[in-house]
Amino acid sequence: MKFYVNARYLIVPIMSIIAILGILLGDVYAWVGVVLFGLNTVIDTLTKDIHLPADFDQQGESYGIKAFQYGVMYFMLPVFIVLQITLAYRIFQFTAATPIQAELFYGVAYQSGISGINLIGAVLSSGLWAGLGIIYGHELSHNRKEGFLVSRLIMALSGASHFTYAHVYNHHLDLGHEDDAATAPRGRNIYAHAWLSHMGQSRFSFNLEQGRLTKQGKSSLNIDNRWILGYLYSLPSLVLFVWAGGVIGLAALFTVWVIANFLLEALNFMGHYGLIRTEGAVEHRHSWDNDSVFTSWFFIEIGRQCDHHVRGETYFWELDDVEGPNYGIGYFSLFVITLIPALFRRYVQKHLDNWDEKYATDDERLIAAKFS
Amino acid sequence: MFKLFKSAPKTYQVKVAGSETEFSVARESSLLSSALSASVKWPFKCKVGSCGKCKCQLLEGKIKPQLDFSYVLDGPEIQQGYILACQTMLKSDILVKVDLDD
Repeated sequence: MKFYVNARYLIVPIMSIIAILGILLGDVYAWVGVVLFGLNTVIDTLTKDIHLPADFDQQGESYGIKAFQYGVMYFMLPVFIVLQITLAYRIFQFTAATPIQAELFYGVAYQSGISGINLIGAVLSSGLWAGLGIIYGHELSHNRKEGFLVSRLIMALSGASHFTYAHVYNHHLDLGHEDDAATAPRGRNIYAHAWLSHMGQSRFSFNLEQGRLTKQGKSSLNIDNRWILGYLYSLPSLVLFVWAGGVIGLAALFTVWVIANFLLEALNFMGHYGLIRTEGAVEHRHSWDNDSVFTSWFFIEIGRQCDHHVRGETYFWELDDVEGPNYGIGYFSLFVITLIPALFRRYVQKHLDNWDEKYATDDERLIAAKFS
Repeated sequence: MFKLFKSAPKTYQVKVAGSETEFSVARESSLLSSALSASVKWPFKCKVGSCGKCKCQLLEGKIKPQLDFSYVLDGPEIQQGYILACQTMLKSDILVKVDLDD
């Protein structure tokens, strides 16, 4: 049981490495990351009706091994760095017009050089898998001093280091309220939310730093400003891609960052869309759970939002079903629906109606009525 | 030198000043989660270090902060020894002052 509980969260590490190997092998294998993402959507949809509770022993102790799970999360930082270096290497080959030919590396066949179409595959693969860094960046942002920096560095690889502060000091405090940039109000589509949430969280992080530094009598324009420092953490990626491919490298990195940040904001969008909180503590009803089996294992239980927002200090492997609002399907399936706003609005309406009726307080219902 | 090889205790004791309340905190647990596990009515809201509701004043002992308190507590509070219980692990037995919920 202990092995099973811990090993089931290795899907992303294994698939990330496969995506990297695909880019290294070149040719059509550069698309492997995209294919895996599509395959995951199919698996998630086929298993949408399987919902499992967290696993505890007879004494109520979790089977999760903290040292192992943290080891994996820290290990993902170099994995995501290698992913970027691999893509930069392919961009370098493309811009240097390296001849496209079969080569051998210790007996393993790979393609040296890369065509334009396969480079697009490599960029999309990198963006999709870099975006999944959010699941580790998120988990490590909570409560663990040493993990906080790793979280910032993982997020910086996607140009989103501001997330770590905004998530803890804004999202967890103001969830379901108009002050929380990451909560999507009813009627907003995912594309608008991606932009508004990203910019809102970044602005919050800057204001947070400004407030902290002002209290210390310091200017907000210095290296002690962790908002600035966070973006400086992204500088090595920028230098690497400009060096590797000039304008093409810059465009590739920009594409990776846009995809990665879009995935990050999609998770925020799906986790809280349309839910409302007035005064008082965050309760289970202020989040949507997405805990079908594949989503739970793939996204290291980030879909158990209801429990997470009430017990923010709890390790992901201990989060459980708390019978909060639940879409009943996984993140991959829901993500596809959100991409078509009209379809999403139609899909989500019955869930919102149910929330208004069964979960909302009178005050929350009054606010909800204004959105109708 | 031999101090380096001496293992740290697995739990520490917490006393709440002005009350009979006492409880233990495991090395890997936060002050707040241990208090709540011991059914101590410690005030809290977010549990992630952002609301400041669980703040208390450290009167004696040593702690290991998990997040920077300065986003929530102001300078004078930090100088007076205020800490956030949800983001505090212990390095010794401690004595704290906190207004417990009724």
